[in-house]
Amino acid sequence: MIGARLVWLYAVGRRVPFAVSAMAVCAAGLRIALLGHWDAYGALQLPLIFEAAAAVCVAATAASPFGEPERVAGPWLPFLRLAVTAALTAAAIGLLAAAGTGGHLSGGTLDVLRNVAGMTGIGLLCAAGLGGGLAWTGPTGYLVAAVYALYTQWHPPGLTTPWLWPARPPHDLGGALCAGSVFICGLAVVTARGARDPGAPAST
Amino acid sequence: MNVEITGLTRRFGTVKAVAGVDLQAGPGVFGLLGPNGAGKTSLLRMMATAMPPSSGGLRLLGRDPGSYGPRREIRRRLGYLPQNPGYYPGFTVAEYVEYFALLKEVPPARIRVAVAAAIDRVELGDRRKTRLRTLSGGMLRRAGIAQAIVNEPELLLLDEPTAGLDPEQRVAFRALLRDLGQRATVVVSTHLVEDVAAACAQVALMDRGRIVFHGTPDGLAARGDGGHSGDTPIERGYSAVLAQTRS
Repeated sequence: MIGARLVWLYAVGRRVPFAVSAMAVCAAGLRIALLGHWDAYGALQLPLIFEAAAAVCVAATAASPFGEPERVAGPWLPFLRLAVTAALTAAAIGLLAAAGTGGHLSGGTLDVLRNVAGMTGIGLLCAAGLGGGLAWTGPTGYLVAAVYALYTQWHPPGLTTPWLWPARPPHDLGGALCAGSVFICGLAVVTARGARDPGAPAST
Repeated sequence: MNVEITGLTRRFGTVKAVAGVDLQAGPGVFGLLGPNGAGKTSLLRMMATAMPPSSGGLRLLGRDPGSYGPRREIRRRLGYLPQNPGYYPGFTVAEYVEYFALLKEVPPARIRVAVAAAIDRVELGDRRKTRLRTLSGGMLRRAGIAQAIVNEPELLLLDEPTAGLDPEQRVAFRALLRDLGQRATVVVSTHLVEDVAAACAQVALMDRGRIVFHGTPDGLAARGDGGHSGDTPIERGYSAVLAQTRS
């Protein structure tokens, strides 16, 4: 009971309910977008926009409003960061995958899993390096690069590096490994250190 | 001694914010004075385990905060209010203090009582269910003090705690400090010399990262004379010590 109360207060303090609502809006947007008849560009690129938006929602919750008093308040903070971030990522993937079920979601659930996890990792790394308020910069920049990589599928020479995983097929091992590595790195850094506190030097 | 510091140094690039400080403090209220940029906040952040020292020795509550186990134990028994604490505006005062009680591992059976007691001690009892976004700056400061004392800390570190408090609240806060200092080590960093004179048994004056005076408020006051600026003896002592150090 006490643990649940702590998790709840932690989640509310980081605006997790708002993030979940925003992710639900992303899922609804994806569902509506899939109702349309898109050409190959749109079919590949539109889901990526909603996946990037959901990743930003997850990464933004890494920011703490409480600053140093929270950082030095006890041993539970890293576990809270890990649990809530992992759960939110799973929720984002689940919501988007559910939205794509029965629709013409290019790449299917595997694509959603890989893309959301990878871009969330980028967002978490940005939160750790730049602060939670700038967590959106990484996924947004990556989205532009990925959209361009998808464009080059029809306009060679194509960008085929696994680091641009959205341009790889859903079952591509290299893309999955790169996305997974970035997610694990982002999650590890945010678990250990949290989002950067703008204006404060490094903390223990 | 709850605080034992030897040769403590903290560098930011080429700047030495804290330059070889030696300090010891037991139970009681300890005032840390100094002009802007003297190194007070950096010293307090190291004592709060929020920032590791570049070099030197630091023992808090008889433990070395450099390793995980002792640091965890120190943090459980520590209270800390930085100069600019953050708040989630949607929390009520009670939720804010409860969150910190839970983080600081206050025993579950005591949480409700501890939260109520901390809020009452800073005289926010009638604002318990008020959202933080609606509180004034001074009330927010008092809520910050409540989170710092909710675990009945043995080491309490307060950075400019009276900033934003009205005169009546400052007087009440000094009484609270004296009360807390009965059994805990309370280190108060402040610009306000009169707060130190009223509440502290010991005082250290920092300048350019070093401690240039360590003694009692009366001892600091005795260092002043008519030739130095200040309305009170301790302000004149403060000015005199700084002038002497810099000459």
